[in-house]
Amino acid sequence: MEALRDVAWELRGISKAFGPVLANDKVSIALRRGHIHGLVGENGCGKSTLIKTLCGAHQPDQGTILHNGATVALHDTLAARSFGVATVFQEFSLVPGMTVAENVFLGRWPGPATSVGWRTMRKETRRVLTELELNISPDAILGELPVAQQQMVEIAKALAAKATAIILDEPTTALGVGEIAHLHDLLRRARNSGATILYVSHRLDEVVSLCDVVTVMRNGRVVSAAGETPLDVGAIIGLMIGREIAEQYPKVNAALGEPVLEASNLSTDRGLRDVSFTLHRGEVLGLGGTLGSGRSAIARALFGVERIVAGDVRVNGKPVAIRHPADAIDAGIALLTENRNVDGLFFNFTGAENITIASLGAFDHGLWLDLTSERRTSSELMRRLQVSRAAESKLVDRLSGGNQQKILVARWLNTKAEIFILDEPTKGIDVGTKVAIYQIINELAGAGKGVILISSDDKELLAMSDRVAIVRRGRIVRISMPQDVTKLDLLTGPEERQDAA
Amino acid sequence: MKRLFSLPITGPAIATLAVALLVSLTTHRFLTPGNLNNLALQVSIVALIAIGSTAVIIVGGIDLSPGSAIALLTMLLAMMLKFWGIGFWAAIGFTLLGGAAIGFVNGAITAYLRIPAFITTLAGYSAYRGLAFMFNNGSPVFEASNRLEPLFYGQVLGIPLPLIYIVVCFGAAYWLMRHTKLGRSIYAVGGNAKAATLSGIKVRRVQLLAFILAGLMAGVAAVLMAARLNSGSPNYGVGLELSAIAAAVIGGASLSGGRGDMIATLFGALTVTIVQNGLNLNAVQTSTQNIVLGAIIVIAVGLDMWRAEIGHLLSSGAGSMLAVKGERRERRKT
Repeated sequence: MEALRDVAWELRGISKAFGPVLANDKVSIALRRGHIHGLVGENGCGKSTLIKTLCGAHQPDQGTILHNGATVALHDTLAARSFGVATVFQEFSLVPGMTVAENVFLGRWPGPATSVGWRTMRKETRRVLTELELNISPDAILGELPVAQQQMVEIAKALAAKATAIILDEPTTALGVGEIAHLHDLLRRARNSGATILYVSHRLDEVVSLCDVVTVMRNGRVVSAAGETPLDVGAIIGLMIGREIAEQYPKVNAALGEPVLEASNLSTDRGLRDVSFTLHRGEVLGLGGTLGSGRSAIARALFGVERIVAGDVRVNGKPVAIRHPADAIDAGIALLTENRNVDGLFFNFTGAENITIASLGAFDHGLWLDLTSERRTSSELMRRLQVSRAAESKLVDRLSGGNQQKILVARWLNTKAEIFILDEPTKGIDVGTKVAIYQIINELAGAGKGVILISSDDKELLAMSDRVAIVRRGRIVRISMPQDVTKLDLLTGPEERQDAA
Repeated sequence: MKRLFSLPITGPAIATLAVALLVSLTTHRFLTPGNLNNLALQVSIVALIAIGSTAVIIVGGIDLSPGSAIALLTMLLAMMLKFWGIGFWAAIGFTLLGGAAIGFVNGAITAYLRIPAFITTLAGYSAYRGLAFMFNNGSPVFEASNRLEPLFYGQVLGIPLPLIYIVVCFGAAYWLMRHTKLGRSIYAVGGNAKAATLSGIKVRRVQLLAFILAGLMAGVAAVLMAARLNSGSPNYGVGLELSAIAAAVIGGASLSGGRGDMIATLFGALTVTIVQNGLNLNAVQTSTQNIVLGAIIVIAVGLDMWRAEIGHLLSSGAGSMLAVKGERRERRKT
């Protein structure tokens, strides 16, 4: 019987190069049973490569992988899975149309070849879910559950399969505050019963509060190993970027001007009720609340994605009719959406083409586009936002998340927008890029634009906003100064969570 | 070297040269002026339809109807010229307009009624040929007009007219796709329709316009078809939609949308035509020809998909092959 705190998995001296880039340079990391091991570092530091080595997707050029002290070879993901390595990626590897029980037993149905073994499957699933204190029915259709619960099913699946290591890569990006707390409770219970967990996240406050030990990577190397990393956000940031960061949230208060956007009594038939607020020039208005509270719905309504059935919108005091994003863009509104991979980026376009797509009119001469001026404009913006030079001619799928996000920001900077709606602008990007985004927010406010900031990172929301509107069930319940907003205000009560489910 | 490999036309151009080389090795009758002239005539109809197929594929759709649309349009053209007493150029104009109208119907049903393009144009594939049979008791109209044949067999400065149509139409199509706002929008809609909407692009209108272009090109092809045989027939154009789609796909167009190139499609059309021509010269049966064409499509698309690996292999030796594979797997996950 292996004891708690024994090393379950160890990567020793792993090196991996992609062409000239050394993604991993003699990286060593040991994962112990009954530990939640944090792995942090900026985008491109090599942590994805390391994870992929452990789950068999990459073959290291050098180094050894040990399981329970014995060297093993993980030729592919199948081999890693047979050794019990389970990964919970941002996109789920579950089947939405199947029940929870079927998903938990996906690919290893308990019955003989001729039968799935429904009864065993449901019984086992119920046992696992109860053990994890999850109130989810084994017969529920997975796709009908909220995202947070789907993710918990994925973790339950890993535990049910007696995983020897569970890797979680940015598991909380899609979750609200309450759901994150719930997930963390779940992980702690799993740890206490001896699970080996590797937790990868950009959200350092979560890492510090959850993890037992933290490994920090920078430029392909481990700069601070598990035992030596202090569990302190400031110290970890310093290690990640290799220097002290002056301020995590460099908020600058701009002078407030005239109202630039006035929404009165907005309602949509998709859940928005009587939303009224005023955004001034130079102001950052934060929208707080949980996932599904209506924060993003406000953004979608203002941008013409969801139909406004009642109420009106004024820009610079003049009423505007917004029926399509094209109307919103004409009115001077920009929307940076939450999921850049889903509705932001064009993966068939270069970085340059991704930038100009919302402002092609500026280069349009009827029968032709001024490609020279397009190229000049986009490379200027890329220089200004310090986007990697490769982005000019490379398709955007080759770029890091931070560079991709900067490209989308550049897309909207290049429009004539006066109102910037930023929905989770720092989701899944590294600390350095986050600060760059905050500086852009400051610049926009300083230039007299209005900014609406939507964020699930409550520290960011409170630090960067001039006022915060609390959204619940499609309504703005109050607007206050950030210092008057508590963590509790941004959370929903338990009875509301049941509503959502 | 690497740069050359990343151009969209490199692969299809190599494919064209490869099949031309193969065919010229099997028969000395391939590289004769007479046959090459014949080839130019043969490729023109498929190539012009393929312009429309490519635009529709790039916008994220598919068009199965041009073969049947051509049957209907040749019938209309022949009827106008022979029985309805419509002036020559007016009849040509109406045929082109009719093509655009067919494209409008396909596009409107697909974009605004949200019926998948495959279904809409499958219905069109059936219905347009059915319509073609409703004229002249379903019989072909021969000897439509003595002014028709020069449109196909005529020459300007010794250059066959179909070659000039190809240069003009592909030049315009290339310009449209790479140098205009509409072209860029077509790529954007095919690449990510949601993101396109959120960038202010009127997605449905762009889809509709791509289908109208496809219909218009079917109209152009129909005029050439009718001119070539000085007739209209409900049986013309069978299977042309598949050759045109094959040309686009061999040219690197992706059926998931957002990727494709007009000049590469022209090479695709050449590849398809040279293969057919070569098999004809070698007196290979039609059934075998179809099998060979099927194989060529799979090989060409495969070579295009593995282009990154092949490029790496040539530029930096076999060692980096694994790295590319890994990188790809990684990209798929993110």
